[in-house]
Formats: sequence, structure tokens, C-alpha cells
Amino acid sequence: MSARLDGNIILLEGQCRVEDAEPLLGWLQADSSRVVDLTDAEHLHAAVFQILMALRPPIREGEKDAFVQDWLIPILRVAKSSDAG
Amino acid sequence: MDDLLRHFTVEARELVQQATDDILALEREPAIAAHLDGAFRAVHTLKGSVGLFDFAPMGLALHAAEDLLGALKGAEARIDSDVIDILLECIGQAERWVGAIEQTGQLPPDAGEEGYRLARALRSQLDEGAAQAAPMIPEADVGWIDDLLAAGSDRADLKAHSAGLVAIRYTPRADCFFAGDDPLALLRSVPDLVAVRTTNREPWPPAAEIDPFSCNLRIEALSCAEFDAVKTVFRFVPDQVTIHEVAWRDTAGTHEVGSDGSPSRETSAVGAAASRMLRIDAARIDRLADLVGEMVVAKNSLAHLAALSDEGMDRKDLVQGIQASQAAIDRLVADMHRAVMDVRMMPMRDIFRRFPRAVRDTAGQLGKLIDFSMEGEDVEADKSVVEGLFEPLLHVLRNAVAHGAEPENIRLEAGKSTGTRIVLRARRDGDRIIVEVSDDGRGIDPASIRRAAQERGVAPGDRIERMSDAEAIELIFAPGFSTASEITDLSGRGVGMDAVRSAIERLGGQVGVQSLLGRGTTIRFSLPLTIVMTKVMAVRVGGETYGIPIDGVLETAFVAASRILPIQEGEAFVLRDRTLPLVRLVDLLGISRVSDPGRGAKVLIMSAGDERVGVAVDGFAERMDVLMRPMAGILAGMPGVMGTTLLGDGSVLMILDIPELIG
Repeated sequence: MSARLDGNIILLEGQCRVEDAEPLLGWLQADSSRVVDLTDAEHLHAAVFQILMALRPPIREGEKDAFVQDWLIPILRVAKSSDAG
Repeated sequence: MDDLLRHFTVEARELVQQATDDILALEREPAIAAHLDGAFRAVHTLKGSVGLFDFAPMGLALHAAEDLLGALKGAEARIDSDVIDILLECIGQAERWVGAIEQTGQLPPDAGEEGYRLARALRSQLDEGAAQAAPMIPEADVGWIDDLLAAGSDRADLKAHSAGLVAIRYTPRADCFFAGDDPLALLRSVPDLVAVRTTNREPWPPAAEIDPFSCNLRIEALSCAEFDAVKTVFRFVPDQVTIHEVAWRDTAGTHEVGSDGSPSRETSAVGAAASRMLRIDAARIDRLADLVGEMVVAKNSLAHLAALSDEGMDRKDLVQGIQASQAAIDRLVADMHRAVMDVRMMPMRDIFRRFPRAVRDTAGQLGKLIDFSMEGEDVEADKSVVEGLFEPLLHVLRNAVAHGAEPENIRLEAGKSTGTRIVLRARRDGDRIIVEVSDDGRGIDPASIRRAAQERGVAPGDRIERMSDAEAIELIFAPGFSTASEITDLSGRGVGMDAVRSAIERLGGQVGVQSLLGRGTTIRFSLPLTIVMTKVMAVRVGGETYGIPIDGVLETAFVAASRILPIQEGEAFVLRDRTLPLVRLVDLLGISRVSDPGRGAKVLIMSAGDERVGVAVDGFAERMDVLMRPMAGILAGMPGVMGTTLLGDGSVLMILDIPELIG
């Protein structure tokens, strides 16, 4: 499993796949203050990514993967700051 | 191949044909809604059956074709020759794929690419049509590109690529995760991204109601890679993506890039020979079932008779009973035989309907104007005859387009209509069918045929000189007459008219040609209705019995010895004021003569080509219907023997090919 819960931190590591979406959603539904750590994420499946977009949890950024860093995380930042529905 | 797949291929062929017919009809009569409805239904049904299997690229292309036809129905797009072309191309590809599926059970490896290309080309027609119907693209549709450009304008690499950009708007289907798609993985593989924006398509539901497996994303991106490179990334989701080429800072200049229409539009005959399925009118099967029922009754009465004979039945009654039973069974067997033959009968339509497109394609490639029509699609013949006609007819039709049709200006000068008329005609003639291809084109010049025949050594020079014009024209069927130099890639394919002739002769038929220089050419095939049963006449020669196909025999005659005149090395006789050459079958077969030449001769009057000839035999025996088996194996090359048949007494009857024996 590339998604795991460590205390109050949700770690998304390596290649996050579609099956990581459901536990991620569960953890965030249970406690929306949990931090999602993308430090070691190499790819986010669209299903995982859209949950982050929808629920806008606090993100810990990483530099492991250029695509995630350059294109995905900025979108989450915008989504968070603009609070767009 | 499993049953489902086999049914699929049969059905798919019919639907492909239906769609082709309707699309061609639509081109002729764009105003008639029935054609459009028919084509739409056929493509829709075909797409549905494709969906049962793992043939995604085929489904993709057909889905796009269906959408285009749907848009035509809704008058959102206009019917023009581009639309017809791409629809036919898609259907043609579908037909080739069905052929491949039939042979290998799967689509060929390049199907993904091709399916995407077709879908793309079809959709570009759709977009063009939509653009014509509603000329302006809604503001919102280009607005997103502006937004993206603005968002990406601070990037140095964007400025460096001011030449052109590719804008992508990708709206994954809600259920795309179940199909195994990861839209972000696709986005990641887009080369040279310069801007990305991802939004939610629908407002996000409250956290507790989010469905993690329903995709609610819309992805917009700019890339400075080549258009084709971007297109390739999205080749499996063309229905969910729009890709535009954008000139830097000139969003008004967005344009869709259409298909790179492939020139190859060879009508596929793949699988025509492979198809061994037979579709049969249910009424014919019912008739067979009835006959089997009657057969059971006849069998029971025979059983009854057998039981009675055990009980010491009177001999006379027994004989009468057996005879009555035999007569009944005889009649039933004959009826059943006829019914089975009927089952094998199929209308010419099944192959004819494939020709309009072939002619259209050939004419299009050669830039000729052709007015093609067909008659006699309802004429029926044995399945093997009808199917065997496809290739030769295709060749002859292509010849008519390639060689028969003249340029329009020449036609007008000659007082003809601009379009060359080509008529494909089938009709019944006794127990034969006649299939003709006539054109009103330039005709065949006997002088140039003579010249070509001499150059190519088709026949001895002096013989060619002596030939009548009609005979000279027949030389086009001679082996070696068609040469590579006149074989275009269209009419040629390495097949000459001699191949057409041998294909027709294999079906038990004959070929003929009539042509008038400047007036047109008619190629005529005469074929037996069925090649299963052959009527033969048995003749006795030198103590042996041989069969001669009766359709070559015009009449029989007894010629008194005094009327046989020796002429040079040969003999001749006069029949009703005409002198006919006489050949003796014993000589043809190389058997030593046993008959007494002084007693006159029994003669079969036969037609050999256009001539009549008398064939002397020792005696006539009965006429019969036989199931002729062609010579196979090492006997296949035996000259003068058409085939063999097994007689009632177990002996083998050789069936002679008299025209071939005469040479």
C-alpha cells in the first residue's frame, strides 16, 4: 500500500494507485485536519488527486518527482487558497 | 473460434454491407432520410456487437462514425463527399478488421493507431459540420486557452516556443477509473508541458458523499510539443479530449487539424473466400424438414412391407408393394436433392452489392466519371458459383473503369454523356446464368490487339493474321496477353484476363467479349446455375463409356458414310446445308478404331467456341445427372478430362472436355 497513516499524518509514497483513493478519503473524512505528506510521492493517480482537490487537506510538499512538484502541487495550493468550490 | 465470435463475424459482415449500401445511396440521394437512418442503425448495431468483445479500437472508430451519422441526422453536419469518404473509409476498415478477426480471432496490431486515426478524422468532420451549422465557437470554448496562456505566460520556456502550442482539454469520463484510465498518468506523458490547470467538472459534494471512484476532473494543458506527439498520448480516449493547435497570442486562429486521409482505399475482399457460413431462408429449411418427415413415413411403410414378407405374403403383392415404395422414395430423394440444392442457392445481390463501392473507389482514384448500375441482383445460382464470381467480376469492372472509360472531353466529342456508363447485369438463360459487364467506353481496337498478341507471342503470327476481328479481340483472354506494362495497380494486381477466364472455367463457365471500337465493350460470362450437378450424356467409344457434359451438345445425328467427305487430313460432313468438320472421339482419345467406317457415324454436334463441330462416337448411352468431382491430385493436370463421377454400378465415368480435346 502506497498510502499509510502514521499518527496524524497521511503518507503517500511512491506510485499512488487508484486503490489508495478510498483509504485516503476515509482518513480525511474521519479527521480533516490530517496532513498529507507528498514528500516521497512519485505519482498520484487522478482518483487520489481529486480527493486532495476536493477536501484540500494541509499538504507537505516534496521534491521527489518533477511532475508532482511542478504541476500537481501548485494546483492543490491554488485550490486551497482560492477555496473554490 | 468460439461460436459467439463466429456469429459476430457473420453479422458484422452484413452490417458492414448494409452500412456501405446506405452510405452510397446517401451520396446519390442525400435528401432521403431512409438511407441515413439505415446507415445509422447498421453502424449503431455493429458498434454494439463490437462492444461484446475486446476490440476497443474498432468500437472507437465506429462510435465516432455513429456520432457523425447522428449529427447528420440532426442536421448538425452537412453531407458532402468528404463526409461520405471518411464514413466509407471507416466502414472499409471495419470490414478489414472483421476479416482479420475471422482469421486470427483478434484485431491486427496496428488497429489501435488506425482506430484512433479514423475516430479523429470522423470527429473532425463532426466539428467542421458543427462549426458550419453554428459558425462561432462559443466564447467559453476558447476562453480556457486564453486563461492557460495567461497562466503560463510568465514561464520562460513558453516564450521560447512562441511558434506554436498545442492546447489540450481532457474531460475524463466519470467511470474512467473503472476502465483502468489514470488521467494524470496521461497528462504526465504529454511531452513539453508548459501549463496545466485542473478543475472539478461538477461542484464537489460534501466530504461524506464523495465517491472516490467517480472522476470529476477536467484537465487543461498547454504543450509546446508537436501536435501528433500530443495526439498520440490521448489515442485511446479521443472521445474525451479536444486538442487544438494554438498560435502564440493568437487564440482566434485556433483550428482543428483534420485527418491525414490515407490514400489506400483498396476495397477489401479479405475473408470473402474464407467465409464458409451460409445464411438460409427459413422457409427452405422448413421444406427440407417436411421432406425428411415424408421420408420417415416412406421408411416406415418399407418396414411394414418387410414385416409382411416375413409372414409369407403373396409374392405378387410383395413385388407391387416394393415397387410402390421404391417409387415414393425415388420421388422423395429427388425432392430432397432439389431442396438441398435450393439451400445452396444464393442471389447475386450478395456479391453485387459490394461492387458499387469498388467501382466508386477505382473511379475516384483514376479521376474518372462513372455512371454505374446493376441489374438482376435477384438472379440466384449455387453459392459456389456466386462466390466464385466475385474476384473475376471485380477485375472486369476495374478494367472497365481503368481501360474502358475515356476522358470526359473525348466522350463529349463523340457525342456521349460525360460519365461512362458501366452496367453489371445478371440473367437466367435456361439452366445457365449470364453475367455481363458492359461499358459504353472506348472499345477494343482489334488492330492493336493483333499487334500486342504478336509482340507477346500469344499465338503464331499467321494465325493471328487470319483471325476475324471478333476472334482477335478474344485474344485478350489468351494466357500471356496481359503484361505488366498494362497492369495498373488498380485493374492489375497481377491478374490478367486469362486468370479471369480460368476462374470462370473452373466454375464450369465460359467467357466471351464483344467490342466495338469507340462504342464500348461487353464481357460476358456464361455459367451453370449449379456446379454441383452436371447433366452428362454417356457415349460409347472403343468398348468404353465416357460422359460428355450435355450443355455443350447441340444435337445428335446419324451421318451416313456417303455423306462424310475427306478434306485434306480431316473429314467433314454436311448438316442442313452447313459443312461441319468431323472429328472422331477414338482419334481424340488415341484409342484404336474398332468400328466399321463403312457404316456411317453417330455424331454429336457440339459447339467449340463459335464453331460447330461433329464428334463421331460408337454409340449413345443414357443421359444422366451426375455429381461431378473435379480431377484432383496428380490427375488434375490431365488434359481433356473435366472430372469423374461414380455410376450406380460402382464404376467410374470419366467426363470429357471436348473443346479442350479438340484444342
